[in-house]
Amino acid sequence: MKLGHAIWDGNIVFASVAVPVKLHPAVREGRVQFHLLHRHDLVKLQRQMVCAYDGAMVPVEDQVRGFELEDGKYILVDPADLKRFDPEASRTIEVHEFVPARQIDPVYLEYSYYLEPGPHAEGYGALVTALSDRGLAGVCTWTMRKRSYVGALGTGGKLLRLYTLRHAGEVITAAVPKMPVAALSARELKVGADLINQMTGRFRPRQFEDKHQEQLRKLIDRKARGRTIRVRRPRHVAPTAPGRLLEVLEAGLKRVA
Amino acid sequence: MAERRPVRLPAKLTSRSYRQPAEAGHDIWNGTISFSLVAIPVRLVDAITPGRVSFRMLHRKDYSPLVSRMLCPREGKVVPREEIVRGYEIKPDRYIPITDSELDSVSPERSRTIEVTNFVDAGEVDPIYYDSQYYLVPLKGGEKPYRLLVEVLQRTAKAGVASLVLADREYPVLVRSTGRLLAVNTLHYPNEIVPESEFSPKADPDKPAEMKRVKQAVGRMISKFNPEKYADQRRRRIIALLKKKMKGKSLVQAPEIEEAGGEAPLDLVAALKARIAKTGKRA
Repeated sequence: MKLGHAIWDGNIVFASVAVPVKLHPAVREGRVQFHLLHRHDLVKLQRQMVCAYDGAMVPVEDQVRGFELEDGKYILVDPADLKRFDPEASRTIEVHEFVPARQIDPVYLEYSYYLEPGPHAEGYGALVTALSDRGLAGVCTWTMRKRSYVGALGTGGKLLRLYTLRHAGEVITAAVPKMPVAALSARELKVGADLINQMTGRFRPRQFEDKHQEQLRKLIDRKARGRTIRVRRPRHVAPTAPGRLLEVLEAGLKRVA
Repeated sequence: MAERRPVRLPAKLTSRSYRQPAEAGHDIWNGTISFSLVAIPVRLVDAITPGRVSFRMLHRKDYSPLVSRMLCPREGKVVPREEIVRGYEIKPDRYIPITDSELDSVSPERSRTIEVTNFVDAGEVDPIYYDSQYYLVPLKGGEKPYRLLVEVLQRTAKAGVASLVLADREYPVLVRSTGRLLAVNTLHYPNEIVPESEFSPKADPDKPAEMKRVKQAVGRMISKFNPEKYADQRRRRIIALLKKKMKGKSLVQAPEIEEAGGEAPLDLVAALKARIAKTGKRA
């Protein structure tokens, strides 16, 4: 992405405050991209919609959209009907309330953006200070690229940040399988907590060097030069027997202490 | 242990070229989570479901649902799954095939184990690193140590730091407790985070009067976070449209693809309600 190229601009608005900002993605992914190939001739495959009934390839003009009511019964929906529900374009990030930032569970965080101050962005610095001093995030809504978003306005350094939030309905909370209740002794909990406390340090994101991508590139390179690849089997770890849990925790604690 | 199914991985976990919706009921991965000398057999399942009302593409001719398949453009025919291989483009239209076991070989020690190397205060992680979330569910025999990790992480307010290898990627992850389950949050690598310094913060600091005005405006709007509060308006409107359309001639029937049992007359409203409840999975 080119430097200084914003994907959206508008105003943060609440009470009598309006701060012009420019939105920039805060994450840039650069990874090895794979394609799907036909095994015997290594031709790159294309995605094709096929009729489940007769197996025919179906061109786009013969595709219609349906909502599956139940097995095999659909309600047809015209894309023009859906278009009517596109939100109106707007240039406003409307802040509805400010909440303690730590109340927002990470499961809701989706995409992150930096908000660069726009021209004559009075109040920008004041907003950064007001949010960071009290650990607050502004819950806000806005429209971008024909979609409406709910987001959290926060800070990290000198810039304001905007995180898009997932809707509550997108988070699976009900899919908890039934689990047998395993009784834990006070001793097991105590030694477990001691062990975890002993293994606690600061969060250092720099520890995550993407060696995997580097090694993947090397593997591709070796293969491209016709070298053979020695296949190494995944390591399997023997599970801890429930009856030996305390013993294993204590042995672990002894090792780190 | 289940065979890996690279083309069925959920969208968030795959590179763009593979994207295909996860099939319900499939585990994304199964293996072991370990910390210190403790090893717990687990499987990885989705924590996030697309909340938007999802539609199925149908064949205009017979309203049969369409399925996505891979087509060989040279032969002009659909290629069965067993003839598909993953490849890397080394120069235009020249590809090197890479097999699943070769991918596993890149990181054999991590491809079946989430090894928690250290713990951090759960609140210390900058939210900018968070990407997606999954749950870990214990496999048979792993319930007790699983329960212990859930409990202890909760009581100490800590999260485990680890790596997770899935198909062609390795993800830094945080293992958190939800109180009942272990959640796995995939994180971005630090080199994927755009440095703030690429953007210039405003040159002149705000005047004290401005500071005071903004601070007061913020202070008057403090509340508690409630994720349920901001409903998806578009979703609501689409559901209203579907309810209306149910009465018209928009209701169609696909041909029977497999033998199905006899059906009782359909209670359409009940069916719509049930479907929407299933689509939304609202808490």
